[in-house]
Amino acid sequence: MKPGTRLKSATCDTEVMVIRCGEGQIECGGAPMDEAKPAEPAELSADQSNGTLMGKRYVDAAATFELLCVKPGKGSLSVDGAALVTKDAKPLPASD
Amino acid sequence: MTKVMQGIRVLEVAQYTFVPAAGAILAEWGADVIKIEHPVRGDTQRGFLNMGGVTLDPQRHTLFEHPNRGKRSVGVDITTPEGQQVLYELAKTADVFLTNYLPQVRQKNKFDVEHIKAVNPNIIYARGSALGNKGPEREVGGFDGTCFWSRSGVAIAMTPEEMEGPLGQGIPAFGDSIGGMFIAGGISAALLHRERTGEAAEMDVSLLSAATWASGASIAQVAETGVMTRNTMPVSGGASRNPLQGNYRTSDGGTINMCTLSPTGHIQSLFDHLGVPEAASDPRFSTAVALFENAGACSDILVKAFAAQTFEYWRQHLKTYSGQWAPIQSFHEILSDEQALANDMIVEVPAADGSDRPLKLVRGPVQFDGAPVVIDRSPIASEHTEIVLMEIGMEWDTIEAYKAKGAIA
Repeated sequence: MKPGTRLKSATCDTEVMVIRCGEGQIECGGAPMDEAKPAEPAELSADQSNGTLMGKRYVDAAATFELLCVKPGKGSLSVDGAALVTKDAKPLPASD
Repeated sequence: MTKVMQGIRVLEVAQYTFVPAAGAILAEWGADVIKIEHPVRGDTQRGFLNMGGVTLDPQRHTLFEHPNRGKRSVGVDITTPEGQQVLYELAKTADVFLTNYLPQVRQKNKFDVEHIKAVNPNIIYARGSALGNKGPEREVGGFDGTCFWSRSGVAIAMTPEEMEGPLGQGIPAFGDSIGGMFIAGGISAALLHRERTGEAAEMDVSLLSAATWASGASIAQVAETGVMTRNTMPVSGGASRNPLQGNYRTSDGGTINMCTLSPTGHIQSLFDHLGVPEAASDPRFSTAVALFENAGACSDILVKAFAAQTFEYWRQHLKTYSGQWAPIQSFHEILSDEQALANDMIVEVPAADGSDRPLKLVRGPVQFDGAPVVIDRSPIASEHTEIVLMEIGMEWDTIEAYKAKGAIA
């Protein structure tokens, strides 16, 4: 998989840009993602349907993978079955 | 709305509200605004989640959304030489460089006017500061609470003398939002000047200058007469000279503001609406000069009349009154105000939480061609780094190399 590649979900509307990747299968909604959408959509796995958010970056625990969501959908992103989590800004605490 | 700034690129290296608000205004007008954010923390304002006694959801962060709508975010560590190189690459493609970093920080990190003009001599360099770009305190930072509200004289003028101490600003980012529009106006004029002459000006707006301008009528009066006007304690009743000027309490505790500064031509209409039409022919009240001389007696009539009916009654009933007045409303009420809505003052943007509940924002004060603004939400921190850098022609390998050094995210 080449960074910069756009992948589409087989189960939902999600599309991601691959920012960083290593060895492993990138999945959405429990099914592998690919550059092309399959003719028949795959079934969205009930336990893989937390949804993706536009503009969010999704990373694995080892930070080997980073996916940028460019189109949101209903499926959850994972690599070889391990869920990816959002990479969020870590702002400094503040209060008035 | 007509995108009058279409084709203009603004490179924003700024945080909080004052200067980013200028970027938001320009984005509403159609500019491509690229916001540079810290690769890990993002704009410091992203952490302003506990303000005014309210805790905000970071995915529905109205205080961030207000000044950052419609922008793209690129994560760059401007303290590294590689990050500065990325900034220069972006600056080469921009029409406007917009910043509120302090002068010493701009110098240290090499994005002061001479560094940016060296890579793009045609760029307009726009600075927002606390207290101005000249003078002994040019390196001092500040918020609108300090510079716009406190130092300027506004706090004291807003506070009745009888109160123990000066009132606070009360509205988050109040001075920032006003000042941001001033910056956007200045940038527009600088772009026009560049179009006509080829000269790219440097420009400054400070929070202090925004406040002194907004208070200019009072400050000029003090300079001329030595007399400073301050707010008075709230009462139900008219001003000492003009009873048609003052706040009047309704039967249910609401308030109607009367502000008919020149009563001539409105006296009959006023007394008709108050249900005492005969008062208009009373020689004490029948002319503006007579009203001024008998202000107290007239005010008593108004106090009594207003106190006899509800706020809603007066709000409807006074619609046909010929003089100037207003219902004193809250921000709750402005969200459903007929005129505010008819003039598209509230705009909806999708929330970053992916829900079907949009955020309601206030649009910038300028409307072009009578059409509503269509604008996207604020960016997630570093949302557009790769997209923007590829757009300006950077190769993926270069992007990866910068990332490996932590210069971008």
